[in-house]
Amino acid sequence: MVFSFIVMPLLVAAFLPLIGKFSKKLLPDVLTNAALAFLVFNSILLVKPVFNQGFIVQNLHWLGEKVNLQVALDAFNLFMLFTISLVSLCISLFSIDYLEHYGHKSTFYALFLVMIAGMNGLVLVPDLFSVYLFLEVAAVASYALVAFGLGYDELEASFKYLMLSVVASAFALLSITVIFGMTGSLNFQAVAQGLQDLEARLVLGVCVAFFIMGFGLKAALVPFHAWLPDAHPSAPAPISAMLSGLLIKVSGIYALFRIVYSVIGITPALSRLLMALGTISMVVAALLALGQKDIKRMLAYSSISQVGYIVLGLALGTPLGIAGALFHLFNHAVAKGLLFLNSGSIQHITGTRNLEELGGLGKMVPVTAGTNLVGALSIAGVPPLAGFWSKLIIIMALVQAREFGYALVAILASILTLWYYLLIQRQAFFGRVAEKWLQVREAPFWMSAANVVLALVCVLAGIFFTPIFKTWISPAAEALARGIQQVLMWGL
Amino acid sequence: MSNLWFLYLFFAALLVFIGLYCLLTMRNLIRLFIAVEIISKGVSLAIVATGAVKNNILLAQSLAITYIVVEVALVAAALALIINIYKKNRSLDVRLLSKLKG
Amino acid sequence: MVIQIILLCGLVIFSVLAILLKDLIKAALSLAVASLLLGIIFFRLAAPYAGVFEISVVAGLITVLFILTIALTKKGDEVTEARLVKLAFPVFLILFLVIDGLVMKSLLQKIPALPSGPETGTFGQVLWKQRTFDLVAQVGVILAGVLAVLALFRKKEEDRDE
Repeated sequence: MVFSFIVMPLLVAAFLPLIGKFSKKLLPDVLTNAALAFLVFNSILLVKPVFNQGFIVQNLHWLGEKVNLQVALDAFNLFMLFTISLVSLCISLFSIDYLEHYGHKSTFYALFLVMIAGMNGLVLVPDLFSVYLFLEVAAVASYALVAFGLGYDELEASFKYLMLSVVASAFALLSITVIFGMTGSLNFQAVAQGLQDLEARLVLGVCVAFFIMGFGLKAALVPFHAWLPDAHPSAPAPISAMLSGLLIKVSGIYALFRIVYSVIGITPALSRLLMALGTISMVVAALLALGQKDIKRMLAYSSISQVGYIVLGLALGTPLGIAGALFHLFNHAVAKGLLFLNSGSIQHITGTRNLEELGGLGKMVPVTAGTNLVGALSIAGVPPLAGFWSKLIIIMALVQAREFGYALVAILASILTLWYYLLIQRQAFFGRVAEKWLQVREAPFWMSAANVVLALVCVLAGIFFTPIFKTWISPAAEALARGIQQVLMWGL
Repeated sequence: MSNLWFLYLFFAALLVFIGLYCLLTMRNLIRLFIAVEIISKGVSLAIVATGAVKNNILLAQSLAITYIVVEVALVAAALALIINIYKKNRSLDVRLLSKLKG
Repeated sequence: MVIQIILLCGLVIFSVLAILLKDLIKAALSLAVASLLLGIIFFRLAAPYAGVFEISVVAGLITVLFILTIALTKKGDEVTEARLVKLAFPVFLILFLVIDGLVMKSLLQKIPALPSGPETGTFGQVLWKQRTFDLVAQVGVILAGVLAVLALFRKKEEDRDE
């Protein structure tokens, strides 16, 4: 059942506060992880039918009456669903131990699940207004989660995030309204059909500009990125991982490119604009990351920079470019999730995130150090880890499309990335053990376990790169590259 | 009635502008949130008016109601945040919120 | 039509008041009046249910929440806004008015309307049968809001000593 991706997390979330009254830790832990494991399993089960038929459109009948609960699933959504489920399962495993000192685990898990339901819904619905709504579901949950620690920084970051995010979704909704006015419909297919018959390039251009502004704010593309380096580091580590690994990709990149590719249809000018935006984010954020002393702030800037890569690849529009970008999206979700969780481990172990205070931890906490190295090298693009292949494909696609300038910038930015990730490694893990860290112990079991699982995914996706890419990423990229034909095919 | 569309969207854009101006320049946290409310008034005016002039009023009406529900959830979350910030530093001045630098 | 334009102008005026008035309670009340006017506009646009929601929920409930917050944060009034901001506001407003007018008229008037038949059914049918998914999402949003309030007003470290 495709609906379980939305209904199941919501149901569990609705009951968790009640359950939390009599079982404060055990039951919430078990229930949340079981629900997420079920979603991972479910998304794997869906692979076969989706790839055989090309797409699934489901309508739910309720109490014998036909109601309009419609979801559409193709290879692209399925890819996103699997990424969301897998990464969020690892994050919730990590939270079992990490959340001990925050208290109110059941509320935390409930918000966490609502956020996942929002993201899953956003990915599944074939309707513009519902896209906005589920975006808002995920966003409202994430405001509370960023502020979950109730400390000064958390509240401040959450408030700034809220203000910018509300403006972003208002712009997206205004644009949706104007499209609704022009086509009289909100359904992807009807809108795509209507816009084809309509001679209104100028208004459509304004709509697209609003979409780029709204979803660009959500994805933290560079002119709109100011909130991210505050919000992501201030949140509890699992939530940083969630926001950086998944939320900016789902509510920013997925929403923007689904609408631009499958509903409006991409034009060369738009493609150039998005490529430029992606490249600017890639370079500017990489430069800003260099000077950071706080691990999580550096990781947050790195997220902006890697989102730049993804946008560059997707905007290029060739099947190879899209495939590379999607693969990078997956790799970044896994590796950045891993690194943020790892920063949580480091904070748990030592009580600080300041790179200057750390040093020589590698000998004391080999699991944390090892997984951190894997994640960092994967994002930085060192073979044979997964991040190397995805960056290579994006750069190959750029060369193939004869965009040598962009290719060169992408290579330079990845060297910069490698540099600042090596800085983290050197300052935190290598070198002599500082006196005060001689007593530190390895992170608790579930935290290490989650880190190890994610690190294994990074390694395996790198080693089995060819089969994964062929059977899984390419169909997703093709689904997107078909443009509005894909949506017209659904027969909604 | 279709040529009235621009008139309503003109007013909706005006409301959004007023809200944005306040959001960018003012300092009191509650006032910033009033600005957000004004922006969302502009959006809901745009939704209903679009439906009305394009003969889709029933659909637009249900969208507007859904939007109002979203607004309430947002207001609850935001005001809870504001009260918490006030508890922490006994002030609603946004300039005190500058420990974090983007 | 004239009445409609008067209402719209009133909406804008009260919104401007809401951001310019120094006293926050008065600002919240003028926001409520703006909501009331918007509700009447909705009603006149043949959207009675949206109008009722706007008046009861936005003008009523949200205003109450605002006033509650203002009362709980009494010292908030002492935040003074920069004078320049208020002085510059009319200039920007008029500038935007002109641009807005020109842009909207030139952009939107030329749009050809797609031929679409009048809607059938009642409002209830549209809401429950066409937009059913929105109701599910509403449940999600309400849940998120409730949980957010629960999380933000929890007593910290309540269950430490379990």
